[in-house]
Amino acid sequence: MNANDHDSRLEQAVAFALGALDPGQIDDFKEHLQDCKRCQEELRWLAPAVRALPEAVESRTPPPALKERLMAEVHADVEAEAKRARAEERRERAGSGTGLVEWLRGLHIGGLTWKPLAGMAVVILIVAGGIGYAVGNGNGGSAGNAHTWEIEPGANGIEAKVVREGNRAEVRLAGVKQLPKGKVLEAWVQRGNAVEPVPALFVPDHAGNASTTIENMKGVSLVMVTKEPAGGTKAPTEEPFVEVPLES
Amino acid sequence: MTVRREKAERLADEELMPWIAEKDPEAFEVFYDRHGGVAYALAYRILGDRTAAEDCIQEAFISIWRSGARFDRTRGSVRSWTLSIVRNRAIDALRSKAGKAPKLTFDDDAILEARPAEELTEEEAMRHETATEVRGALSQLPDEQSKCIELAYFGGFSQSEIARMLNVPLGTVKGRMRLGLEKIRGELAEGLA
Repeated sequence: MNANDHDSRLEQAVAFALGALDPGQIDDFKEHLQDCKRCQEELRWLAPAVRALPEAVESRTPPPALKERLMAEVHADVEAEAKRARAEERRERAGSGTGLVEWLRGLHIGGLTWKPLAGMAVVILIVAGGIGYAVGNGNGGSAGNAHTWEIEPGANGIEAKVVREGNRAEVRLAGVKQLPKGKVLEAWVQRGNAVEPVPALFVPDHAGNASTTIENMKGVSLVMVTKEPAGGTKAPTEEPFVEVPLES
Repeated sequence: MTVRREKAERLADEELMPWIAEKDPEAFEVFYDRHGGVAYALAYRILGDRTAAEDCIQEAFISIWRSGARFDRTRGSVRSWTLSIVRNRAIDALRSKAGKAPKLTFDDDAILEARPAEELTEEEAMRHETATEVRGALSQLPDEQSKCIELAYFGGFSQSEIARMLNVPLGTVKGRMRLGLEKIRGELAEGLA
């Protein structure tokens, strides 16, 4: 490659650094970059200038309500995760009669002994087990890498998409109306006969878009979304307003 | 203020990220307080609309909260990583509004950010450059050079699109971009000397 040819590569490096390289040239430039020390150095040298560009933007204070909305979503996530962990712990204890008894032995509540408590807890667990997750009858299980399932807007005007990459997936909704105070969106996945909550609760933005992430897609045959009280719930409290069957 | 929040405030950004990865809301609040302002200004500069900028920031920061562990300190500072996420989201929003071009990926930023660890020192120093100095470097450029850079960085336009918009040959845009960016880089390097 002569010097003139390489000058054009350096011009590409500038455009690449600014994100302005024409789409058709990106792959070619990346390939060139792998072996070209001069272009690598040029990019390294230019990087601080590109990174400094946002600092040139006139300062603007974000509205306090933005931080409030953001932190509400963050706290909802934390609360949902804590609930999920507690439920998991309860399920593990319920899975082992001995474990449950051991747990109850450790309880010291007022003057009560653990025996009646154990009886009550077992009844509660049996009832909860009976009604808690007995929803749906899908077969579950879709393999593959990147895949998108989509449902067109129905009567409620909501468009839903599930984009799976590897074992994770993003649930994207559009056309969602603003939620009443104290409500969040909660997604649910059906695995076999069980319906499980997705820990990351979410809320729609101004434009009515909302998204959440499902961390484990193994065996999921249906994705649903409901409106739930802030903090989320262990089982849906209403009929889902979105249902996306994941047909393989 | 809680003791934990006070502790979080004393941490450098790079030390704060593992706390966020552990889902600590107070660490995340400190992170937002540090970078939310410049991030919002950037989103507003790109989108030119308050509501769209707010939505962009909410989506970008929630994605950081949910994937805080993905930050890789060898790739640059937390601030530049955050701002590149915000910029990409804002440009995506702009493009989807205009109904053009696929989504930006973070791959290109990763290449730009990847550099030897010793260069982070310069990065840290650069962070403390005042906004006025950076603006000064940009304002000293001839208009035609700063326009090309601004259309690319804040508008998300490619060189060919800029050439068509300005009605000048593609080679002219390439040259202006290169001269302009190299001048900004040179000014910043002088400021650090």
